[in-house]
Amino acid sequence: MDKVSIRLTALLAVSCLLILQGCTTAAQKSAGMRQFLEQGRPDLALVEVEKNAEKEGDVMENMNRGILRSMTGDYQGSNDALEKAKNEIEALYATSITKQAGAVIVNDEAISFDGDRFEQVLIHAYMALNYLAESDMDAAAVEIRQADVKMMEWGDTPEEDPFMRYLAGIIYEALGEDDEALVSYRRAVEVYKATNDKQGLGVPLQAKKDLLRMLAKNGLWSEYKQYRKELGMQQYQAPNDKGYGELVVVFNNGLVPQRQMKAFQTYSSELALNIRIAVPDYPNPPSYVNQVQLNVGPVEKLLEPVENLDGLARAALSSDMPVITARAIARAVVKKKSEKEAGDRGGALGQLAMLVLNTATEIADTRCWNTLPQMIQVGRVFLKPGQYDLKLNVIGRTGAVVDSITAPVSIVAGKKTILNKYWVAPRPYAGNVAGSNQTAAAPAATGVTSN
Amino acid sequence: MQVINLNRFLVAATMGLVVALGTAGCNPKITRVSSDAVTDLSGKWNDTDSRLVAEEMIQDVLSRPWLNRFSRKSGKVPTVIIGTVRNLSHEHINTRTFIRDLEKALINSGEVEFVASANERDEVRSERRDQDLNAREDTRKAMGQEIGADFMLKGSINTIIDAVSGEQARFYQVDLTLIDLESNRKVWVGQKKIKKTVEKSGFRF
Repeated sequence: MDKVSIRLTALLAVSCLLILQGCTTAAQKSAGMRQFLEQGRPDLALVEVEKNAEKEGDVMENMNRGILRSMTGDYQGSNDALEKAKNEIEALYATSITKQAGAVIVNDEAISFDGDRFEQVLIHAYMALNYLAESDMDAAAVEIRQADVKMMEWGDTPEEDPFMRYLAGIIYEALGEDDEALVSYRRAVEVYKATNDKQGLGVPLQAKKDLLRMLAKNGLWSEYKQYRKELGMQQYQAPNDKGYGELVVVFNNGLVPQRQMKAFQTYSSELALNIRIAVPDYPNPPSYVNQVQLNVGPVEKLLEPVENLDGLARAALSSDMPVITARAIARAVVKKKSEKEAGDRGGALGQLAMLVLNTATEIADTRCWNTLPQMIQVGRVFLKPGQYDLKLNVIGRTGAVVDSITAPVSIVAGKKTILNKYWVAPRPYAGNVAGSNQTAAAPAATGVTSN
Repeated sequence: MQVINLNRFLVAATMGLVVALGTAGCNPKITRVSSDAVTDLSGKWNDTDSRLVAEEMIQDVLSRPWLNRFSRKSGKVPTVIIGTVRNLSHEHINTRTFIRDLEKALINSGEVEFVASANERDEVRSERRDQDLNAREDTRKAMGQEIGADFMLKGSINTIIDAVSGEQARFYQVDLTLIDLESNRKVWVGQKKIKKTVEKSGFRF
């Protein structure tokens, strides 16, 4: 073996070791955290995420820290993390030329993660909900306005998030700005119709009722009649809510699916060879989402789904798939050529070393905001002022109650009390019904397939 | 020949890597600037905006007829208490910076007096209560001797933002009002408008 090939092999072996350390997919790195969540232990999941403290500005880390801190009641800390994620996304706005080049040489993780559009908008939703938990209505409204500007920048209706508009309506109503609330509710109904193919929810009944109620409150009777007919709500009568306060419960149910890596062979006509590419994928069908029953005072009703994040995540991935696949194929061509180069320089050994390196670095970009819920459900009740004990019963597939969340609420006349709750799996302490197979989350799938 | 070139290349590459990694950990670059230097970094509300608002408000409030009218009617300097300045904008803006500037300029001009606002006086009152128990008789400050304000200063910040992908036009309007605490009359309204355009580049290294 001549000196050139020894040196080349040494170089490649060293770089192999260095790069292989970073070649676990994001899905594999998050598996521990998601497992804790699926066991109903968000506190342990938070500890797991806080271990990656050195990734100070990383968008995905901060998004996850945000939700997990909010789950454990640290609203200020949650907003700090989400604010960092927001600022980093702002900084990543410009497309990095060197990172795009890196993606064609190594793998897609060279491109800094800045979230899909629905994830970027939902940061504002969760920050607003945190501010509401701290009773800072004005700050929650600031977040709503920022989300509005963000969606304005994108321009098209299908990219708008209907839950964001609906939440905006709730917050403006709580601030007493009924005209703003009406604009938001109207927009929410329009966007629900436009995104029905992604979310499959149609227009939620609660959203229809709120639009009609706001139209009645603002005295726009002809539009009220028109919408009543259009939304199929001819029986609806606007309630007289004088002297009542309103309880709004926002329930984050389950976990959004984790992107997994899917590796397969395809034929490249340019090289006249079979090449192996790895792309992200959602291998499992959507999990079952538990119904949640709201019990407060004399009222007992089921919460209604208002945002299907599972659907949004899948739609976002499938719209990106053409670009991802094209880049993966280009990358495979570049890698095969580099192997040939190495073979010319360093013989069979060099080519083998390059092949190992290329295969090891060919991982799919499975980064996503994986602590988001699978479904957001909302329930609204008008109640007489006073102190109540709220009980949220999570109902399993068989109809039995698998878990129960209680919270004291105080209702003030003319004001709204907005609660934000998270639930992934039955919590392993007193208060839940013993049942081994009644979890809502999907089993953690190992998605790394070999050739 | 080939061997020597490869060697040199490897050495150069390693040196380059070492230098790049080494300088990454060196001290950041710090430059001290004067507190009224304009440093627009992200296009969001910054200290220059706060200073512009304060300057405009200070100059306006002292030059309007309400001051003389009050002095003539009551023969003393008006007392003002600061109420809430609501943030109805698109950003989490710290309103205290320009409110403090306004307070400082007005007190130091001798034409307006301020009393502690609702947030500030809790601590003062608890200190007075403490003095009642613990301080010497002749140095104790009596309860119920606070001066009632004549006017309350309230305000709001509003924004209008127009945006397309990559470009934004940001418009801020700060409104401050002086309200007569007895009659609810608004005796002075100050307003400052600021407009900025922000362009984000589409590519970076």
